[in-house]
Amino acid sequence: MEIYLPVAEMSVNWLVIVALGMGVGFLSGLFGVGGGFLMTPLLVFAGIPSTVAVATTLSHVTASSISGALAQWRKRAVDFGMAGVMAAGGMAGIVFGVWLFALMRRQGQMDLIVGLSYVIMLGSIGVIMLRESLATLKAYRSGVPVSHGLVNHSWIQGLPFKMRFRQSRLYISVIPPIVLGFLVGTLSAIMGIGGGFILVPAMIYLLRVPTKVVMGTSLVQIIIVTSVTTLLQATNNFSVDIVLAGLLVSGGVVGAQLGVRAGAKLRGEQLRLLLAILVLTVGAGLAWQLIARPADIYSLSEGMP
Amino acid sequence: MRRMLLALLFLLAPFGARGEGLVSGISQDTIQITSSYTGTSIVVFGAIERAQSAQGRNIVVVVRGPDEPMTVRRRERIAGVWVNSDAAQFEGLPAYYYLASTEPVARIAPSEALARYGIGLQALRPSAVGSHHDPEPFRQAAIRYHMRHGLYAESPGSIDFLSESLFRTRVPVPAGVTRGQYNVEVYLLRDGEVISAQSTPLFVDATGLERRLYNMAHDAPLSYGLACVFLSMLLGWISAVLFRRPD
Repeated sequence: MEIYLPVAEMSVNWLVIVALGMGVGFLSGLFGVGGGFLMTPLLVFAGIPSTVAVATTLSHVTASSISGALAQWRKRAVDFGMAGVMAAGGMAGIVFGVWLFALMRRQGQMDLIVGLSYVIMLGSIGVIMLRESLATLKAYRSGVPVSHGLVNHSWIQGLPFKMRFRQSRLYISVIPPIVLGFLVGTLSAIMGIGGGFILVPAMIYLLRVPTKVVMGTSLVQIIIVTSVTTLLQATNNFSVDIVLAGLLVSGGVVGAQLGVRAGAKLRGEQLRLLLAILVLTVGAGLAWQLIARPADIYSLSEGMP
Repeated sequence: MRRMLLALLFLLAPFGARGEGLVSGISQDTIQITSSYTGTSIVVFGAIERAQSAQGRNIVVVVRGPDEPMTVRRRERIAGVWVNSDAAQFEGLPAYYYLASTEPVARIAPSEALARYGIGLQALRPSAVGSHHDPEPFRQAAIRYHMRHGLYAESPGSIDFLSESLFRTRVPVPAGVTRGQYNVEVYLLRDGEVISAQSTPLFVDATGLERRLYNMAHDAPLSYGLACVFLSMLLGWISAVLFRRPD
């Protein structure tokens, strides 16, 4: 049952890794997220070096995004123009993120920065989702329809370099999608996530992309960003483990399909409530790791930074 | 210094015709890391020539891995969060160190002698220290870290004598070992002084697919990365086709 990982230079129980991929895949199919934010911390808990975990999780996200994107593409629900503009910002973000990654490793602060970013991001997104889904559930019970308060961001309308996005029926400046892409690209390189759960709400509430094309477009952007990040991590940090990736992905794609089926039976608000609880639990676990007294206050890393 | 002493000992060993001598060997001179590798063990055996009384005589077997540069960091609590605040860099500490002996090393020889021959975990000294004025707690932390991961160990009383002069010991080689050249050193001590020593190289290397993948990741990282991306896209696509719902 044990298999040797050539890049991580350690042996793992392959059943555990496939099950991990399947579990996270199930959740990503259920909630429509890539699952990177769960996979990276879980791999680190399992003893995989964090550099390998961050770089290899991206393969899992690519694979689970492909099947979703194909389904959306068949429904013609992908705005390739928007995905392309965001991916252009994403490339710059990845290059910046990989550079930042190397810098943090030299400074010995990588675990701290990654941990803090996770806690802040999971904490804020979890709280927002929890509040929203609770409000929706309450309103549903009392029978009052909820208006998803779309704020009118007039400053976004005022930006230059406007471009027409046919599929999204939008005529907006390219600056917000590029900045959004840059942000997600940076996070992808540092945290090993696809960034779907930032991208989707930002596209809906900030860019006002129609909900119909949001899913497909963000998936295409995620595929581009995670593929390029995998390439850069492989060439710059030699930290992608193909055996680990194969195991995760094999479990992940099966789990994702099962998750999609299970998700069809649950209501959207219930799903979001469950996801919010999950996100907050992971965030709290990571926060505890930052503030709890470590077993040994000394830590060791190979090599000279 | 240590290496010179050792070299001298190895040269002189065959000539010490009148005193006790040492012949030793290992069960295998290469450890192959395959896809099912989960750690293994080797047997180090030997014979004492012209064996005299067992009183005051000790055998020490040391398996030492390749040296590995390492950075040890100390965390401090700043605003409630544990932050790496101080670091020391070491060169010349081995990635693996296992010691088997007839008695605890502290009882075998005085610490100066142990330090001179480099016997025992406490005799492990880095050959160079970067950027720290007080490296001792960091060195202790490096030893603790490797012990926790089964990479450093001292195992007194683990040498079995099959007869008056024949002995053997089993050395565990855990899953997390580094590739490279290891050295198996066998020492014969009498009254705290090394009177004979022998060193045999041991190679740890990956074979077959593992080796090819590791080499590819480092020598052709672009094609390796492309292969990873292609693999995940292919698996994603296959699953989408297999599970396609009629809609």
